[in-house]
Amino acid sequence: MLSEVRFEGVHKIFGTETAVEDLNLTVNAGEFLVLVGPSGCGKTTTLRMLAGLERPSYGRILIGDKLVNNVSPRFRDVAMVFQSYALYPHMNVYDNLAFGMRARGASNDLVAQRVRETAEVLGLGHLLQRRPSQLSGGQRQRVALGRALIRQPQVFLMDEPLSNLDAGLRVQMRAELSRLHQRFRVTTVYVTHDQVEAMTMGDRIAVLNAGRLQQVDAPETLYDNPANMFVAGFIGSPRMNFVPGRLASSEGKASVSFLGITTPLGTGARLTAGAASGDVTVGIRPEDLMWRPAAGPDCTLTLHAEVDVVEPMGHEAYVTALCAGETVTSRFPPRSGVRTQESVELALNPARLHLFDAQSGITILQRPVAAAAETLRSVGEARTNEPAEGRSERHRQPEAPLAPSRSEEIS
Amino acid sequence: MERSKRLATGSAEEFRMAVAGTLGPRLDRERFQWSSLLMLAPGSVLLLVLFLGPVLYALYIGFTNLALVGSRSRDYSFTGLENVTRMLGDYVFIKSSWLTILFVVGSAIVGQSVLGMLLAILLRNAVVPIRAVVGSVVIVAWVLPEITVALIWYAFSQAGGTLSILLGHTSSNYLVLVPMLIVSLANLWRNVAFSMLVFSAGLRNLPSEVLEAAEVEGASVFRRYRLVILPLLRPTIVTNLLLVTILNLSEFTLIYAMTQGGPGIETTTLPIYVYQEAFVFHQLGYGTAISLVLVLIGAFFSLLFVRASRSQV
Amino acid sequence: MSAVQARPLTGEKLIVVPYRKVSASAVATNVVLILLGCFFLLPMLWMVFASIDSNPDWAIKIPSPTIANFTDVLGRADALSSFRSSLILAGTTTVVTTVLALLSAYPLSRMHIPFKRSFMLLILFASGLPVSMLVVPVYQMYVYLGWLDSLYTTALFLAASSLPFAIWLMKNFIDAVPVELEHAAAIDGASTFRILREVVLPLTVPGIAVTAIYTFINAWGAFIIPFVLTYSPDNQPGPVEIYNFMGSHGLFKFGDLAVFSLLFSVPVIVLYLFMSRYFSGAFNFGGAVK
Repeated sequence: MLSEVRFEGVHKIFGTETAVEDLNLTVNAGEFLVLVGPSGCGKTTTLRMLAGLERPSYGRILIGDKLVNNVSPRFRDVAMVFQSYALYPHMNVYDNLAFGMRARGASNDLVAQRVRETAEVLGLGHLLQRRPSQLSGGQRQRVALGRALIRQPQVFLMDEPLSNLDAGLRVQMRAELSRLHQRFRVTTVYVTHDQVEAMTMGDRIAVLNAGRLQQVDAPETLYDNPANMFVAGFIGSPRMNFVPGRLASSEGKASVSFLGITTPLGTGARLTAGAASGDVTVGIRPEDLMWRPAAGPDCTLTLHAEVDVVEPMGHEAYVTALCAGETVTSRFPPRSGVRTQESVELALNPARLHLFDAQSGITILQRPVAAAAETLRSVGEARTNEPAEGRSERHRQPEAPLAPSRSEEIS
Repeated sequence: MERSKRLATGSAEEFRMAVAGTLGPRLDRERFQWSSLLMLAPGSVLLLVLFLGPVLYALYIGFTNLALVGSRSRDYSFTGLENVTRMLGDYVFIKSSWLTILFVVGSAIVGQSVLGMLLAILLRNAVVPIRAVVGSVVIVAWVLPEITVALIWYAFSQAGGTLSILLGHTSSNYLVLVPMLIVSLANLWRNVAFSMLVFSAGLRNLPSEVLEAAEVEGASVFRRYRLVILPLLRPTIVTNLLLVTILNLSEFTLIYAMTQGGPGIETTTLPIYVYQEAFVFHQLGYGTAISLVLVLIGAFFSLLFVRASRSQV
Repeated sequence: MSAVQARPLTGEKLIVVPYRKVSASAVATNVVLILLGCFFLLPMLWMVFASIDSNPDWAIKIPSPTIANFTDVLGRADALSSFRSSLILAGTTTVVTTVLALLSAYPLSRMHIPFKRSFMLLILFASGLPVSMLVVPVYQMYVYLGWLDSLYTTALFLAASSLPFAIWLMKNFIDAVPVELEHAAAIDGASTFRILREVVLPLTVPGIAVTAIYTFINAWGAFIIPFVLTYSPDNQPGPVEIYNFMGSHGLFKFGDLAVFSLLFSVPVIVLYLFMSRYFSGAFNFGGAVK
C-alpha cells in the first residue's frame, strides 16, 4: 500500500525552544523524501513526530488519510531505522528481524519465510545466529534495515542511518538504499545532515533550518534555484560565494553590478515580482567561477583576482582568491600551476548568477529548470529495473503518478 | 521567523500565553499513565506502612514518656520537650554524642576515606598479582557479615590474641585498654573497601587525555595527583565522604557485638545508647528522642550531599 | 609511571638510568600494598586456622589439623536451625525487595510521574535513615499487630528498610538500558507488556542480579532487627546466634565459633564473587542526583 504523509501546521515546542515551527509538508506516496539541515534544525524531531515518539504541540499529522496525532507508534504501521540502529542486544539476528512480525502475531512459518527472504535481500543469510555485538558496523546497519524492510510498512523512517559507517561503506550503502527503494517503492522519509546523501538519494529534498522548512524540491531544482541564501549556502560544496551587488533596471532591462563589473541579466532568467532596484546579494557557485584558460565560450565575464590559497583535491583544485576586496572560491582544473599571490583571470557565465534580496535573503531571480529531464529519466529507470523474481510481485504496486511534484512549498 | 523570534524571547510564562493566544491549547501535554501507578503501588504501600509510618510514629514517640514495661507502657503521655531537656542534662548522652563524632570523623571520614584513596591509587599502580590478591582480601573483609568481623576482631584484640603478640604485650586486652580505637579500626578494616571501590571507579572514569597531557608536560607523580587528579576527583570525594558519614553514623552491630558499648560507656555511640535506653532501660520514649537527634545529623549530611552533587553538574 | 609499571619489575629495560627512580617508587608501592594486605588478612586468618585447629585460642598459630570442629558444628541443632532461619529471612527479604524495586524503578525511570524528583529525593533520604531510629516504633507496631517473633514479618520490615536503596540501584540500571530499544520495539508493533517482557526485562537481568544479591548479603548479615523482633531460639538467624555464642564464654568452643562464622560467611562471599563482574558500575556515584 502506498501512503502519502502530510504535516499540516505542525509545531513542536520543548520548554521555550521551538524545535519545529508551522511545518506544512506533503510526502508523496512512494516517494523518497530527504529531510536535511544542520544539527538542531528540527529534522529528527519531525521524524520522531511521524513515528509517534513525540506528539506535535500543534497541528496535524496524517499517514494515508488517517490522522495519527494520538495514534501510538505501535499502530502507525511505520518502520524506523535508528541512527544507533537500536538492535536488541540480547537477541540474535534472526530474532531481531522476527521481533516485529511476532509482535503482530504472524505465524512461525510466515516469520521464518520472511526472515529468510529479507536476510537474502540484504546478504545476511549466514549471520542469522549471531548477536549484534558479533557483527561489524555495516552488518548491524543491514540488520537494522532488515528489521524495517521485513515489516512492509506504509512508511519507512530513517534517522541518519549511515552516519556511523566509514566513508567507503557509506557510499556503498547509499547506493544499496536507493536500489532497495527503487525495488519496493515504499514511502520513505530520510533524515540526514549530509548534503551528498540528500542530493544522491532523494526524489525530493526538504531543507530545514532553525525549525522552519526552507524549500522542498527535486535535488537539481534545489541546486539550480535555491529559494534563499540558506539553501543556496547549505547545498553545494564548496559553498556558494556571496558578494554584495546592485540591481538596476532601465527600460525593462535589468543589470547587476558586483565585484567591479556590470552585466545585463541573461534572457532565460526572470526577476520575481518582489525584486526592486538597489542592494542585492549575488551568489556564484565555485564551479561557475572558472579559470579563464579552462573556461568555455559562454563565460563572457572576466574578473581579475589575486590567488590567496590553493587547495589541490586531486581531480580538481579549490582556489580562494581576492577579487575587488571580496574573498571568492573557485574550482580550478587539477594542474593549473597557479600559486599564492599570483594574479589570475576568472571567467563567469552571466546566466549562472544567483540573486538574493539583500535584507531577507530570498531569491529574486527565477532561473529555468535545466535538469527536469534528468530526474524523469531516473524515475523511468526505477520502473524498468524492478527484478522479475516472483516474490517481488506483491511489492510491485499499481503505478502511482511518480513524477515528483514541482510545487514549491517555500515558507 | 518573526514569530519564533518573538516567542523565543521573553519569559516562559509570556511564551506560553503567546502560543496559547495564537494556536489554542497544546496537544502534547504529558499524559499520566495509570499503569505507572499500578507498578509503583506495592513498593509505595510497603514503604508507607513499614517505613514512613514508623518514621512518623517515631516523631511522636520521641516526645512521650513511653516505656517498654510497667504502667508507662500503657499510660504514656505527650511530654513536649521534656526528653530534650533531659538529654541536655544527660552526661551519658553528651559523652555518647562525642564518641559518635569521634567514631565518624576518625574511622569513617579520615580513616576510611584516606586509606580507601591510598589503596585505590596504589592498586592502580601495582603489579597484577599483588593487585589481584590485595584487592580481593580488602573486598572480602567488606563482604564478610558484620558479626563475623566483630568476632574476628574480638579475637584479634583479646589478651593473648594476635594483636597483643604483635605488640609484644600478650597480657594486654586491647579491647579493654583502648576500646574506641579498636572498634574504629575494626570498622575501618571492614568498610574501607567501599571507599576504595568508589575511588577506583572515579579514577577509572578520569579523562585519560588530561592525565597524559600532565604526564607529557613532565609533572611529577605527586604534582600530578595533587594538582590534576585530586581536583578532578573532587565530586567523587565529596560524594564518598557524605555517603560514608551517613552509613557510619548508624553503625550498631559491629560495636555492640564487640563491646555492648563498654567497658563502662567507653564505646556507647548514639545508636547503641538508643538501643540501651529503649530495650535495656525500657525508656522507649527517651531512646527514640535520641534516635531523632541521630536523624537530624543524618539529614544535615543528606542535604549537603544533594547540594554538593547539584553544584557538580 | 604507569608506562613503566606495565613492564616486569626485573628485566633489562629497568636498568636504563631514567627509570631507576621510578622503579624504586614502584617497589615501594608494591611493598606498602603487601603490608596493607597483611593488615587485612591477619584477622581473617585466625578464623580459618582456628576452624581446623584441634586446640585453638585467640592467637593465630599453625593449626594441628582436625575436622572435629566442623562435625561438631554440623551436629548442633541450634547452629543448623540458625542457618535455616537466616535462609528464610534473607530469602524472603530478597524476593520482596527485588520484585518491588523492579516494579517501582521502571516507572520512575521511564514514565511521566508527577513529583518524580521529590519522590526520588525522598527515597534517597530514606536510604540514609538509621535503622536504630525505626527499631522502637516498629517494635511497638509489631507488638500491636501481633507480628513479633515471626521470620516472615521480620523479613517484611527488612525488605521495607532495604527497598529505598534497592529502588535507587535498580533505577540506575534501567536508566542505562537505551530508551531507543523500547522505541524500536514500540514501532515494531510490540505492546507495552511485550516490551517489558522481551526487551526491558532481559536487559535488566544484571541489575536484578545485583540488587538481589546486594539485598541478600545485607539481610544475611542483619543483626539488630531480628535481634529485637524475634525471641524464640528457633527463629534466631546466624548473626544473633553467633552473638549469643560470643557472650556465653566457655559454653562454646573457639574452634566451633570459628567454624560457625566461617560457614556463615561463605555464602555471601560466593554471591559477591558472582555479582562482582556487574558491580563496578554501581560505584559511579558521579551524578547520582540530577
